[in-house]
Amino acid sequence: MKSAVANDHEQGWDFEKAAMPYVDSLYNTAYRMTRNSEDAEDLVQETYLKAYKYYDKFEEGTNFKAWLFKIMKNTFINNYRKKKLTPHKIDFSEIEESYERVIQKNAPDLIKDPESEIFQDMMDADVKRALDSLPHDYKMVVLLADIEGFSYKEIAEILDCPVGTVMSRLYRGRKMLERTLLDYARKYGYIRGGAEPAKMRSRKDDLKGRKKKDEGAEEVEVREPDENEEEILFKEEEDFEFEVADEEDEEFAIE
Amino acid sequence: MGCEDVRRVIYFFLDGSLNDAKLREISRHLDDCPDCGMRARIQKRLRQFIRRRLTPVAAPERFKVRLSRSLRALSYEL
Ligand SMILES: [Zn+2]
Repeated sequence: MKSAVANDHEQGWDFEKAAMPYVDSLYNTAYRMTRNSEDAEDLVQETYLKAYKYYDKFEEGTNFKAWLFKIMKNTFINNYRKKKLTPHKIDFSEIEESYERVIQKNAPDLIKDPESEIFQDMMDADVKRALDSLPHDYKMVVLLADIEGFSYKEIAEILDCPVGTVMSRLYRGRKMLERTLLDYARKYGYIRGGAEPAKMRSRKDDLKGRKKKDEGAEEVEVREPDENEEEILFKEEEDFEFEVADEEDEEFAIE
Repeated sequence: MGCEDVRRVIYFFLDGSLNDAKLREISRHLDDCPDCGMRARIQKRLRQFIRRRLTPVAAPERFKVRLSRSLRALSYEL
């Protein structure tokens, strides 16, 4: 008969075997969250020790990687977020407007040669900076979806929020990221852009500007973004609440 | 679905996470509407670009060793 110690032992090995394959993924995300290697290491280490401690709570057959990410997210929030981050207030209408403008202005350059990579000279650092510039909640969903390949549902589980919130953050986050990248691309001359900086013009100027667009192009109406329209848009899908994602943080499952 | 609606879901369309009916509806729109079609292509390329450039940072080897060691230590300790 095995002693309790031997069992713990086996559990330890078992856990290590199960969890170590995800260390790079977790570290990568931790690094993007904390922005430095020392804190990233501490965060991953703490995550693993906690996961080990609660290993018996993990339900066999569910997504182990998502479970680890969830522990890491909770750990991160407990350790870091409370002390330094206040909720970001973002003016989405500004983001969407300037994004629209960049897209409209640069569309011909952006698609003229589908085989060539217009951004190829752009520094990795620029892309990373663009990602870093996203508010935490938006960065997280972009990382989890686009880098780690989690499904919306898994992300919702990791972040303890409705799927609709995930989608809303993803939508906004990607848009912010793309806008920033397009701004970089323009700033460094990778795509042609007017002399004007990527700063906001007033809505009135914007309307005037668009009148000059070529005849054939469809007129895009400038209007106040309506927060409710996402709700309407997604109402057929189950789960979709598509709330605006400024809510404060939820209860934590672990701890 | 108008252009404005389509543009709001292009991301999710590109993710392949819309239901079949909506997927077909949007594909059709993108084929028929040059402006939205172009946007979808731009967004697709930007996404590829972002994904390619954000190469994951691997955990340092010495960290992995340390981590394994602490996990093992823990399993003896408990
Ligand atoms: Zn259209």
